[in-house]
Formats: sequence, structure tokens, C-alpha cells
Amino acid sequence: MNLIYTSDQQELIDAADGFFAGEHTVDYMRHLLESDAPDDTPSLWNNFAELGLLGLVAPEENSGLAQDFSVMAGIAEMAGNVALTEPLIEIAGISVPVLAEMRATEELNAVISGDLKILPVCGLSGMVSHADKADMFLIGDGGKARLVDKSDVTLTPLKSIDPLRKLYKVSHAGDGLEAIDRRGTILNASFLCGLSKRMVTLSVDYAKDREQFGKQIGSFQAIKHQLANVHTQIEFTRPIVQLAATQNGRCVHQAKVSSIDTAMLAAETAIQVHGGMGYTFEVSLHMFMKRAWALCGEWGDRNHHINILETMILADDAELGPGTTFSY
Amino acid sequence: MDAVFSDNQNQFRQEVRDWLSANVPGERLPSLDTQEGFDLHRAWERKLHAGNWGMVTWPEEFGGRGCSLTDWLIFEEEYYRADAPLRVSQNGIFLLGPTIMEYGTDEQKERFLKPMAAGDEIWAQAWSEPGAGSDMAAIRSKAVRDGDEYVISGQKIWSSRAVFADWCFGLFRTDPESSRHHGLSKILVPLDSPGLTVRPIAQLDGDPGFAELFFDEVRVPVNNLLGPENGGWGVAMATAGFERGLLLRSPARFQAAAARLVKLYKQNANRLSSGIKEQVLQAWGDTERFTAATYALVAQVDSGASISSEASANKIFWSEMDRAMHRTAMTIMGMHAELEEGDGAIENGRWLDGYMFSLAGPIYAGTNEIQRNILAERVLGLPRQ
Repeated sequence: MNLIYTSDQQELIDAADGFFAGEHTVDYMRHLLESDAPDDTPSLWNNFAELGLLGLVAPEENSGLAQDFSVMAGIAEMAGNVALTEPLIEIAGISVPVLAEMRATEELNAVISGDLKILPVCGLSGMVSHADKADMFLIGDGGKARLVDKSDVTLTPLKSIDPLRKLYKVSHAGDGLEAIDRRGTILNASFLCGLSKRMVTLSVDYAKDREQFGKQIGSFQAIKHQLANVHTQIEFTRPIVQLAATQNGRCVHQAKVSSIDTAMLAAETAIQVHGGMGYTFEVSLHMFMKRAWALCGEWGDRNHHINILETMILADDAELGPGTTFSY
Repeated sequence: MDAVFSDNQNQFRQEVRDWLSANVPGERLPSLDTQEGFDLHRAWERKLHAGNWGMVTWPEEFGGRGCSLTDWLIFEEEYYRADAPLRVSQNGIFLLGPTIMEYGTDEQKERFLKPMAAGDEIWAQAWSEPGAGSDMAAIRSKAVRDGDEYVISGQKIWSSRAVFADWCFGLFRTDPESSRHHGLSKILVPLDSPGLTVRPIAQLDGDPGFAELFFDEVRVPVNNLLGPENGGWGVAMATAGFERGLLLRSPARFQAAAARLVKLYKQNANRLSSGIKEQVLQAWGDTERFTAATYALVAQVDSGASISSEASANKIFWSEMDRAMHRTAMTIMGMHAELEEGDGAIENGRWLDGYMFSLAGPIYAGTNEIQRNILAERVLGLPRQ
């Protein structure tokens, strides 16, 4: 029992954090947003391959780093912290381990080297961000994972409020698969934690900068206590997400519900702290807030996961009480 | 990162479980804030000590088992699973004991830790004053050095357990020229000292859970000074950290209550409005979040990290979770919620007791408003002024 990362694991997470923070800046995002030809903005994909991020959880025989899934969850939080616009987490965190389980060696090797993009599809929604950039899709169909060629599906563009989310409806979504959905749920929750944390950071920076009544607004308890509330919720969401990444069971659904509630609280608090400026494109908040709104409904929305929790917690044979969190 | 208990941990759990199932009293003890209940709880502490289960985290040399904090969480899980009595010596075990180990002289360790562990000396806190609550640095009670003694005068309030306890530990102003957090010292005082009057204060439930202490030239030897003279603030902050943080409230307590809440919900489900179900799910879910977070925090501490301001988030979370789940229970009980005992009183009024107790959580050990200030200023970096 040791619910913290080893120093080696933490180093990998910190390295990814450093790369994201250095390259995937607010300026980079604004360039994507304002450019007439966003596709001209250089992709970070080759860097992801070079850094070993694509093969992070892949077996060593496929030149992966064979890391625990919990490390991927840690990196997903760092990706959330910068609202990463490329589908690194989906491909490296969901497709790669499922491809390894499928023993689809050829495709796995090509994905790890960065030459092939296989995007996982959530059977619940069939909505996939960046589907236009995919070569293949990974779907759950009749209890099995299956690869579908891009040429065999129809992509219908959807208009998301998040301008950096190129969203499509995929015609062949399948009916879902635990191995795909579980990983998608956990990484999505972790990404939401990163977004929540960043929205707090942006709000703290703004509250230290903005002055009213001759003082920094961050000196007022009305501001402090709201941000302390969000901070507290984040501190009590991240560990259940990390636990979900380490063991299966009801904590997976708890992680998603908590991360949704925390992210929505973070977003509403952040815009309140930013005041009128938060309602504009002038400050960066909107990019993180909109991503949070979008991701709350992805990989099973709140209703979906609460309903599952209900069946698990209210079941006659549910194991509840002291000491049951780790023994499903 | 892993979430699997080792063989040793499982074996430890089984040992705790076996001992508790053979020794926990069959009936719940009366409130420890009555003379009868206090005496029975003291007897339970002696029994725990005889079985060497009193102070599992204390080093062996002081009468403990030298367990890691993770082992302590396991112990607590079994303790609450067995519905064992509340710890009447909690102030000593979790607050003063660790402080004496850190700041005490060898003589103090020898003199105080063993009787504390054995339940022979039960401790009360004497920090707050009528004019120094959230603003603890406004303390005015003074201890004046007179030869080998301190002469203490002043008034303390909200002194938990003081009505029936044996000793108190408090913060007193030893430098008359000082102000705020300078010039304070932590001093240990027997509650039966001449000149010390203990006035019980009835809590919401009517029992004297805390007291007001009047010091009228109370004399204690200078050897009762804990830590440096005039350096008591730092010593007190160490204790406050223990209190706010994990050492006071382990997840097991809340998981036991939330499991009871699920049961209460199921017994009444057919007459409840639809919103209650989600409150019940939230209550259980929050205890799992608190459990995961506590195991993570404990892993950090066991690996050598120290916690300080993080303890504030911890205190906010458990105290508000506890209040919310007890409010849900009150809502479920509806017209029976007010019944303290006897006919119609669900679980003989246990939820009502728990609800009243939960209302204290956001107030004691530094109000949650103070905790939010600490988080905002020391963790998030927002300006003080």
C-alpha cells in the first residue's frame, strides 16, 4: 500500500509537465485559435514520440516504457493543466494498452513511433475529437476491441463550444468495451483535475493583479475562501483518480463524478473571480473553461456514472464501511 | 504507486480485529462527558493499554508499537469497524504526546508519556481565552517566573475534557512586554492545582464537554515548561498541525458513519424524496475520496515529507463532509429526528448526537474560515492584506 508515485514515476510526470508547459503555451493556443489555417501550426506529435510518451505504458518488446497506468494518469493531469489540444492522452493512454492486449503488434509499433494515429471511440457518444487526423479508430464491438479503417466510417463535423476541439461524430462507434471505457474515464477525470488546477492558478494570478478599493482583490476573504474551496476539492479529487488508475471498481466512477463536480466548481469560481474579463476572449480562462465543460460529458456523463455508483453502493451485497475502499 | 496491502499489513489487521472482537464492550458506553461515562472510558483506555493497543504509532520506548501511519489507518479501520468506544485520552495521544516527544526533555518524556499511555492521566486543552479564539495570538493569561515556579493568572475557555480530566496543557504569556505570538510559552498544569477553578460548560447535548478555567495565582514548577520559554507559539503550532491534520480524524470514523447512513436510507427509502438518494451516494463517495487522500498523505509522511498547510484542506473536507452526512440522516429521520432516546428514537438518538457533534467540527481546531485563510495565503499565495 503506497498511494504515491515513486521518484522514477514522478520524474516522468515532471518531464512531461515541463515539456507541455514550455511548448503548449497560451500563446501557442492563441495562435491555433486565431490562425486562418490552424493546420499550419506545427504539431507536437513528433516530440511526443521522441519523448517516449506514446509508448509510455506499452510493453518493452514494443519499445515501450512499460510504465504503470497510474503514471499515464499523472501525465493526463499535466496535459489538462495546459488544455492539450492534441489527442496524446487518448492514443497513448487508451489505444496503446488496448492494442497491446489485442496483440496488434504492427499497429502498436506504428502508433508508438508516431507514424499511425488510432483514436479510441467512446461507445456511449460516438463523438471523437480530432477524428479527422486519425488513420484508424479503436472501437468496442460485441465484447471485443476492433480496429476500423478511417475509409470505412463517415465523419460528421460537430460544432463544440470549445474552439480548439475539432469534434466529429463517427458513424461506427460500437457498443463500448470495459477496457476502453475504463481507461477513458480515468484519464478524462485526471485531465479535468489538471484543468481545474489551472483555472485556480489563472484566478490567483488575476486576483493578485487586479486592484479595486485600492487593494489587490485577492486580499479579500470573499475571493480567498472561494478559491480555497476549489483547492480543497481538487486535493480530494486527485487521490481518488489516482486510486482509480491503480485499481478497478467503484472508485473509477467516483473519480469521474468528483472530477466533474470539481471542474464545474473551478470554472464557475474562476469566472466569478475574473469578473467581466472572464466573460471575454481577452483573458485565457475561456479556453480552459470550455474544455472543462466539454470533457465533463465525455466518457460517460455524470448521470451515467452516478447511476452505476447507485447500483454498486445500494446493492444488498455492497461492501461498505471502514476498510472497504481497497477491497473490491 | 500501489493500492494493495502487504502480507504484514493484512496480518496486523487480523491481529487488531481478533483483539477487538474479544475485548470491545458489548454495549455502547455512556457519554464520556458524564462522570460515569468518563470513568468507563478511562477503564477502556487501561484495557487497550494492557493489550498494547493504546498508542500504536508511539515508539516502543514510550509504550507504543512503533507502527507506521499506514498501520495506524488500518488500526483505525478495525477500531471503527468494531464500533469501539471513543478515545477519552485523545488530547494526550494525538496532540500532547507527539509534542512532548518532539520538544520535551528526557525527564518530561519519562514523567508524562507513560501515565498518558496507560490512561492514568487524561489531558485537557487550555488554549482559547474569552478574547482569544480564532485570534489565538491575542492570549493574555500570564505565567510569571518566581524562583523555580511559574505563577499563572488568567482565564481559559472551551477546554475540552477539563471537567473530569487530570491535567491541562496551555499557552501562557511569559514575557509581559511581548505581544501577539511572541513571548508565549507552553506549560503543563495539574487541574487540581490550588487556585485553579474549573467551571463546567454545558454543550448542546447538555453534558459538560468543556469547561472554563480560572487561574488565580496557580503555581507550577518551571519543569512544567514544554519547549523553549517564550517559544510556545512554535510548539503550539506543531500541536495544531497534528490536530487539524490526519492524527485527529482518520477516514474509518466517517466510513463507519456513511455505511450506517446507507443502511438508514435503505430502511426508509420508500417514503423519501428523490433527492435524498444522491445525498447518500455523495456521503459514501466523499468518504472514499477522504480515504484515498488520507492514504496518499500518509504515504508522503511515511516517506519523510512533512505536512503543514495541507492539513487545512484536510480539516475543511472532513468536517464539512461529516456535517453534510449527518444532516442527510436528520432529513431521512424526519419527524423522529428530534427524539433523543426511548420510544421512536432511531438508534437511540445516535444520529442526533452525531449531528450536534458534527456542528462543532467546522469550529474547533481553528475554524474553517481560518483554515481557508491559511490555504489562500500560504498555499495559493494570495496577499495577506
